[in-house]
Amino acid sequence: MAANSFDRPMRPAMEKWHLFFRNGQGVLGLILVALFFASAIFAPWLATHDPTKLDIPVRLAGPSLDHWLGTDQLGRDTYSRVLYGGRVALQVAAIGVSTSLLIGLALGMIAGYGPRWLDNALLLVFDTIRSFPTIVLSLAAVSLLGPSLNLILAVVIVTSIPGYARLARTSTLALKNSEFILAERSLGAGSTRTLAHHVMPNVIGPLLILAAMDIPVVVTIEAGLSFLGLGVLPPTASWGTILNEGYLVIRTSPWPVVAGGVPLVLATLGFTLLGEALRDVFDPKLRSQR
Amino acid sequence: MEKLLEIRSLSVDFRTPRGRVRALREVSMVVPKGKIIGVVGESGSGKSTLIWTIMRLLAVNGTVENGEILFDGGNVLEFDDNRLKGFRGEKVSMVFQDPMTSQSPVLDYRSQFTDILYRRTEMSRRERLGKAIKMMNRVGIPDSEKRIYQYPHHFSGGMRQRAGIAMALLMDPSLLIADEPTTALDVTMEAQIIHLIREARSEFGSTVMLVSHNLGLIAELCDEIVVMYAGEIVEHADAHDIFFDAKHPYTKALIACNPALDLEMEGQFPTIPGDVPDLHQSPAGCVFAPRCAFSDETCSKERPAYSISAGKHSEVVDHSVRCHLYCPDKGGKTKHDLTALSLNAAADRTRSEIAHCDEADELLSIQDLRVRFPTMGRIKALAEGVDDPFIDAVYEVSLGLRAGETLGLVGESGSGKTTLGRAIIGLNGVHSGSIKFKGSELVGLSQNQYRKVRRDVAMMFQDPVGSLSPRRTVGQLLTEPFLIHGIEKGSQRDQAARLCEMVSLPANFLSRYPHELSGGQARRVGVARALALNPALIVADEPTAGLDVSVQGEILNLMLDMQAAHGLGFLLISHNLPVIRHVCDKLAIMYLGRIVEYGDCEQVFRNPAHPYSQALVRGTPQPDPTRRRQLVSIEGEVPSLSNRPGGCEFHTRCPYSGERCKYLVPEPSLLADGRTVRCHNPLAE
Repeated sequence: MAANSFDRPMRPAMEKWHLFFRNGQGVLGLILVALFFASAIFAPWLATHDPTKLDIPVRLAGPSLDHWLGTDQLGRDTYSRVLYGGRVALQVAAIGVSTSLLIGLALGMIAGYGPRWLDNALLLVFDTIRSFPTIVLSLAAVSLLGPSLNLILAVVIVTSIPGYARLARTSTLALKNSEFILAERSLGAGSTRTLAHHVMPNVIGPLLILAAMDIPVVVTIEAGLSFLGLGVLPPTASWGTILNEGYLVIRTSPWPVVAGGVPLVLATLGFTLLGEALRDVFDPKLRSQR
Repeated sequence: MEKLLEIRSLSVDFRTPRGRVRALREVSMVVPKGKIIGVVGESGSGKSTLIWTIMRLLAVNGTVENGEILFDGGNVLEFDDNRLKGFRGEKVSMVFQDPMTSQSPVLDYRSQFTDILYRRTEMSRRERLGKAIKMMNRVGIPDSEKRIYQYPHHFSGGMRQRAGIAMALLMDPSLLIADEPTTALDVTMEAQIIHLIREARSEFGSTVMLVSHNLGLIAELCDEIVVMYAGEIVEHADAHDIFFDAKHPYTKALIACNPALDLEMEGQFPTIPGDVPDLHQSPAGCVFAPRCAFSDETCSKERPAYSISAGKHSEVVDHSVRCHLYCPDKGGKTKHDLTALSLNAAADRTRSEIAHCDEADELLSIQDLRVRFPTMGRIKALAEGVDDPFIDAVYEVSLGLRAGETLGLVGESGSGKTTLGRAIIGLNGVHSGSIKFKGSELVGLSQNQYRKVRRDVAMMFQDPVGSLSPRRTVGQLLTEPFLIHGIEKGSQRDQAARLCEMVSLPANFLSRYPHELSGGQARRVGVARALALNPALIVADEPTAGLDVSVQGEILNLMLDMQAAHGLGFLLISHNLPVIRHVCDKLAIMYLGRIVEYGDCEQVFRNPAHPYSQALVRGTPQPDPTRRRQLVSIEGEVPSLSNRPGGCEFHTRCPYSGERCKYLVPEPSLLADGRTVRCHNPLAE
């Protein structure tokens, strides 16, 4: 469609990037996130050892030229395990959060904009899901279906949809009777168009922030489940397993905990900073206030 | 003349990301004791900055660069915290524009009033309460012993503003600052508040500083007037001198732009071309020079000094004006004949030029329309035994509109005028009755069938900026109607450019976002979008609300031009009677969802037949200080829709009501000049 030829040519994407790069925190966030992605994707090339190869004689060693971040209680190379653990984290975070964001956004806007009965029905579903503790829900799911990474993903998606949906619903309700929505309707715009073109851009900002903040939560859920033996199965490395295994030997050697914790903190920080910077760039109103 | 407050060459800057904004530049004025001084200016003139600086409540990014504010032998700008506490609230108090947001919603009036008296430790709790009740009584709040225990949401807008005034007067302040005190109120309420402020002055001897953009209000109330423009005081004189002997071209233009002027004005509205200057740099010459009809080279290079002469109508107040035309050493310039100031000299656009179509071309015809809203859910109504859980927002309304005609719909808030407008375009459900557009019935159409109607009927909404989708550029907004209706007419960009040109917006605006537009520019986009598909009818809901008078004229001219060019029918919903008078052919006055008078616009204004129409027509404050009203036209407020009075709905406030009005609903009766009126004792034959 020749639609909206004003999107790009008149306000070039360059300008948005320019604004983005003026924001120092956003750039820091972008760098951290890029590092996270790069290390996860290129893990096989960056790793110095096989992450699952045991080498009992050098167990719990400190950093050395051979083992950059030391070894764990089974003598596996911590540096390589952290890199591979990032892959698991990335998978869960990216797929889990983006899927639940999209589904939550759609359901939330439908609940907020649609008829009252649909709103009530959807709210009931959201509240039901939210009333289950995540861990209990995953325990139930795992005992039924057996542990796997995909199951963790499914649990993460289902349990985080209500958060996004409720946020989207509240913002949609606030917008529903605003004059510009009435103006669109008075021009003859249908519900789909109104939602996609006029409600969505105004609703998505807070959801993106929530998503950025959710990523570390999702990573910890994965870590927690892995610790319980319900998620990533040994010997596969994940930040959660590294942390939890390291915790047991923290008095003998702090290196595994440091190596597992620091990337988690950096990734969290990176996503948070990036999320906030993106919000500022994509919200023209906030932009003018700065 | 005793000075209460003196401001000496005050300059205030705001730091913004785009640089410093010089919001006030060398403002000097004296507030004399016991007078009402009015500060007039359009948005961006710095009048709010001035009062916030006096109260020392400037936003954090604002700094006072220069100047002093003298009060009570001290400089307010140097008061320490302790003295400031005594100054604010006790010596100087404020009445705010919007009583809904300036009063705490979670505290009852008792605690709000007694909180103000917290520094009077010598008073017992009972004495404080007594004082508060007394003050509420004085501002005309009935049953104040009981009502003081109520919360702001229990009060109507007018009552809330009364309570706000009572709070401001509670500490017996020597200066009362009123910031647009009637802007949020209806005409009849406005008249009552004007009366109240005048009484407060005579009763308490307060000095009042009234800040407003409404010249009518200023003329009704003020003794002295200060005219501000772009952060400077351009003229200061006695009220009579300002209105009858204005010197500064801006003041003259401002007065001429006011549609409330009782002229027989047909055709173009006067406007002030151009925009308020960008205050990021201090202007080299006169601030008004770029928009001034008399400016020459000196004006844009040199800053004019104040020239002060004795006032014509007042011996006390000098007439000072900041304009080169009156500088004594540039004597040659005063020979300009300023009385013949032509502001965009009215092009004769006579009404007859527009081809009025005959009866067959009835564009819109509404018969017995009724719109009702549920007040509670069906189940709750059943449980509580309420038979009729509805309120009628629009009740038995019949109207007609022909192509090329403008129908005005006037009423106070809660009269159902917006609901009626939205019902026509299908945004509200209709209970019964019929709406015919070009002969085909609209009531009962599905949303899908309504889409076709919406190609021919466009609506303009109240808030110029708020009715534009905030994340879309002007270009995207303008092409939206074509995309919605799947019309391919050349390239989208060309269409948008054409529309932009039609409403005389520069083409580079296409890439702007709504929040980057001024009110007038956003309104132009609204007009362009309404016209995009060449509709036959435009429903305009308060198209000039929130716009400055100079811009208001521009928008109305634009709308009239478009009407002349395309033979549009306009349904103009407004509470602004002067605008309606100049624009409309026919007028319908609504009260509690009913049309009480309907007919030729000029007739209704000359000789209103319904007491309510009379109250509205007389209620508009005139920009003429010699015509101050002594009496409030009607008392009381619009009753709630859920509590519709029996008989004639207006009888509770009507000064002419008789016995019959209390139980018998008047039927519409036809007057000799073709008007219909719903009244038992119409004021005209």
